Amino acid sequence: MANYGMIIDLKNCVGCAGCDIACKTENNLDHDVHWSFHITETTGVFPNVGYRYIPKLCNHCENASCVKVCPTQAMYKDENGLTLHDPDKCIGCRSCELACPYNCISFNEDVQHQHQWQMDTEPLLEGITSSGKEIAEKFDNVPFPNYNPDRAKTYDGVRRKGIVEKCTLCDHRILDGKDPWCVVSCPADARIFGDFDDPKSEVSILLAENSAFQLLKSKGTKPKVYYINEF
Amino acid sequence: MAITRREFIKYSTISGIGIIGMLNGLPLLGALKESTNGTSSVAKWMTTVCQGCTTWCPVQVKMIDGRAVKVRGSEYAKANHGKCCVRAHMGIQQLYDPDRLKVPMMRTNPKKGRNEDPGFVPITWEKAIDIITDKMMELRKNEETHKFVLFRGRYTYMRDIIYEVMPKVFGSPNGISHSAICAEAEKFGSFFTEGYWGYRDYDLDKTRYVLCWGADPIASNRQVPHATSIWGKVQRQAKIAVIDPRLSTTAAKANEWLPVIPGEDGALAVAMAHTILVEGLWSKLFVGDFKEGENLFKKGKIVPEESFVENYTYGLVKWWNLELKDKTPEWAEKKSGIPAEQIRRVAIGFADAAPRVISWVSPGTAMQVRGGYSALAAHALNGLVGSVDNVGGTVRGSKIPVNKVPKYKEYYDDIAKAGTKHKKMDQRGYLKFPSLKKGKPGSGVVTNNAADAILNEDPYEIKMAIGYWNNFPFSCSGAERWEKALSKLPFFAHITTHASEMSHFADIVLPAAHSMFEKYGFIKSKQNLIAYVALNKRIIEPLWDVKMDETEIPWEIAAKLKEKGFPNLMDFFQAKFKDPETGKVPQNGLEFSLFALKYYTQPIWDKNHEKYGKYGDAPDGWDDFYEKGVWNSKKYKYRQNWGNFGTATKKFEFYSETLKKSLGKHADKHGVSIDTVLEKCDYVARGEVAFVPHYEPAFRRGDPREYPFIFFEHRSRLNREGRSANLTWYQAHKDSDPGDENWDDVAKINPIDAKKIGINNGDKIKLISPVGELQCNAKLWEGVRPGTIAKCFGQGHWAYGRIAAKDFKNRVPRGGNNNVILPAEYDRLSGSTARHGGVTRVKIEKIV
Repeated sequence: MANYGMIIDLKNCVGCAGCDIACKTENNLDHDVHWSFHITETTGVFPNVGYRYIPKLCNHCENASCVKVCPTQAMYKDENGLTLHDPDKCIGCRSCELACPYNCISFNEDVQHQHQWQMDTEPLLEGITSSGKEIAEKFDNVPFPNYNPDRAKTYDGVRRKGIVEKCTLCDHRILDGKDPWCVVSCPADARIFGDFDDPKSEVSILLAENSAFQLLKSKGTKPKVYYINEF
Repeated sequence: MAITRREFIKYSTISGIGIIGMLNGLPLLGALKESTNGTSSVAKWMTTVCQGCTTWCPVQVKMIDGRAVKVRGSEYAKANHGKCCVRAHMGIQQLYDPDRLKVPMMRTNPKKGRNEDPGFVPITWEKAIDIITDKMMELRKNEETHKFVLFRGRYTYMRDIIYEVMPKVFGSPNGISHSAICAEAEKFGSFFTEGYWGYRDYDLDKTRYVLCWGADPIASNRQVPHATSIWGKVQRQAKIAVIDPRLSTTAAKANEWLPVIPGEDGALAVAMAHTILVEGLWSKLFVGDFKEGENLFKKGKIVPEESFVENYTYGLVKWWNLELKDKTPEWAEKKSGIPAEQIRRVAIGFADAAPRVISWVSPGTAMQVRGGYSALAAHALNGLVGSVDNVGGTVRGSKIPVNKVPKYKEYYDDIAKAGTKHKKMDQRGYLKFPSLKKGKPGSGVVTNNAADAILNEDPYEIKMAIGYWNNFPFSCSGAERWEKALSKLPFFAHITTHASEMSHFADIVLPAAHSMFEKYGFIKSKQNLIAYVALNKRIIEPLWDVKMDETEIPWEIAAKLKEKGFPNLMDFFQAKFKDPETGKVPQNGLEFSLFALKYYTQPIWDKNHEKYGKYGDAPDGWDDFYEKGVWNSKKYKYRQNWGNFGTATKKFEFYSETLKKSLGKHADKHGVSIDTVLEKCDYVARGEVAFVPHYEPAFRRGDPREYPFIFFEHRSRLNREGRSANLTWYQAHKDSDPGDENWDDVAKINPIDAKKIGINNGDKIKLISPVGELQCNAKLWEGVRPGTIAKCFGQGHWAYGRIAAKDFKNRVPRGGNNNVILPAEYDRLSGSTARHGGVTRVKIEKIV
């Protein structure tokens, strides 16, 4: 039993989107589905201008509104405090998507990747360049060439059509005692993953030692992604 | 001749030279498949190199059943210590891009031009190489081999084979690199002060002040992964000041942002030097002091040279008297648009923290018309405060022991001897192109001018060219000239992963192996005070019939030339690139590639070599080196060049005797004065001031009455050079470049200016310069100075694939290529293309 969450050190963060793209490689996301993403904002007037980049992911809220509104318990809290999604129970009503104040849940109108790797059959130059489908067909049993089978240990490897999907904090990696891939991939060590119930964990210590903020705290969702320092 | 899957296994198995490891995880093993629940059967992290920018990081790719799945920094590399930047992840999309070339192709429409459909048809390698070598043999028959050019683009250090040996043994002097569109003017700054023609390394771990001259190290070149990983620490222990007309991410995170008027960087540098001197903050240890102790550097006052005794430097007082004495922050404010108070504060902060400080010169400041002098002035600050080659400062690279290209001149026949005597075709060394690489006039490439050389047949007609991993009609300013030049060129063969703008003008296009996944090679680089060698490897079996640009293709050409009666190139390859372990003579291009790789890196892995283990890691033979894929040098030793800088005086030169000598040689060669050289090369300096770091006003094309805005460009953190735009990950994350928008190409305009001309956010606009126009969208953004327009380089492809181009078939670009509106101008002393510094003005028209 744990209470997993994350600290993001904005001073370390360089706003590179490395987490976003690494997440796509780990979790088999289509390019326009973002489990890890960011908010950017420019403030002030030249030459007194500020810019900041805030990495964003599912907050794995203690009081998760997506869980509350889910009519089928597809969206649920697991024993380690993660907010997870059971595709078998999901009916695609999208209530969770509307309820999430962080815009961290995506709905799949189509099967992910199918446009690129199944429906694309036209090469730009006949006989000279390829098509997505031609490439996909070169690989057995995987929907696209860089498909990561590890994702399928705890979730659909590629999520189904007609239902939602979201960040699992790489629960499939946590099972093996590994950090989420966005944490490992962050070249700035800006993301720290850990158990907030363990007072000796790095996240607990950092939270105790720093003034931290959460996104939209006022919504009462008790998000478990905390931000420390200024960008 | 394609290596089939079976041949590849056979070859790999029998070679016994350390590629057994790489078979792990290849689908060709066959028996291991992924189960239906998707769990992996064979997974292995394999090492290779990311060449997405010129940092060249050792990385590892997770291979599952022969598929590249994800990427991380190499655990074996001390320089990037397990980190990679976002570009490395994007390599995977590049690898599996459906728009890559599968096979060679041939043009069927003899007419060349942007609006001509080349009518490409697929052909075999056999046929492609046959056509190329027919053309080469024709040049030999007519004894005009010098009319052959090899255009180099992104390379590894296997480059000698295709870029140096192949043209020369064939009979041409024309290996023409891309270097002068990269950052040569930066090297000018360090060469003519400290005698070092190379990129510096930076001791970020120990620094206390980082002064970035256009540098954006947490986003783009250089050493992005190391800088990124340590920037949090740097922010905590040091101050950061960023000189950049755009609010880059580094600027946003800095203590000071100095949004300089583009091209006026030099004013800031000399004003900072002035301030450091009048405030008495120079390094007494490194530079020296006044004999009488009193600081005589007072605004406007000449200082007697004999009053000052220098230690490791030369010409400080001359520099003061010739240039600095009047260059106050108040003077610089008028030139640069930066308040005098801020200039003074930064200069004093920088000098107070010295010597653990870095004055970090980047292309933004250097790759300008007259930018060599800005680089010189900005780098001279490192000398002034004693941070050069010092703790927490700017350093060089440690020694890397690799072999040089074997001697090849004995393979010249009479035609080659005659052909190689011709001057190189890019007009280097002409009066207008001193191109003083390493101080030697006419020795540096003038890449972008090659287009004019072709068009004007000056110094002679060019009849044939081969280009690899380059895309000059996209990446060179004055891009239209390249379209014309390539249209004029009678025969062009292009080696590339994608059909590109350059391919559009080719007669033959050859599909290149990808440098991160499909190619053997090695790179040399440095970060974090560690120099390193890393191996590019073929870690996957290519999906398509691609070949390695720098080795396999020259091999195929050499084999065919031999068949046609010219055996010298093949004789050289087989005689000089035997397997260093077994003595086996290479029999095919793949063997040649591997044996050459082993030859070059032999001092690193061969225990019997005299240099083995002397300069860094001592891998346990070839297999061990190959497996780890990286060799780390010992950590750089500080102050090793103090007292022995590679300049004419052996000192750090504030008055560059080295430059004076070089300019003198160039002037003598042309029988003119140095002042005439400067005049012809667009510099304003005359007389002695030309030998010291000094202010040169920004050079701009366009009448301000017609073109009211100064245009400047910048780099994207997502650019794998100019090759990312066909990746959806690039387009979907473009807003990670501050001010930019996803799936868009925007010109960033200050809201004050936008209001004046009635432009709203998202408006479709034309940017028009005296040399061309492009279309993009308007973005109103406070992160640019009023009066300037900023735009990122990278979009605007019309022939790089279905995502990069809005309409590939009809050659409609997504956004606009900056190089269409940037004129072909140069920092002529270094030969560099001046893409920065606001080299052109533009006007904006709204498209309704």
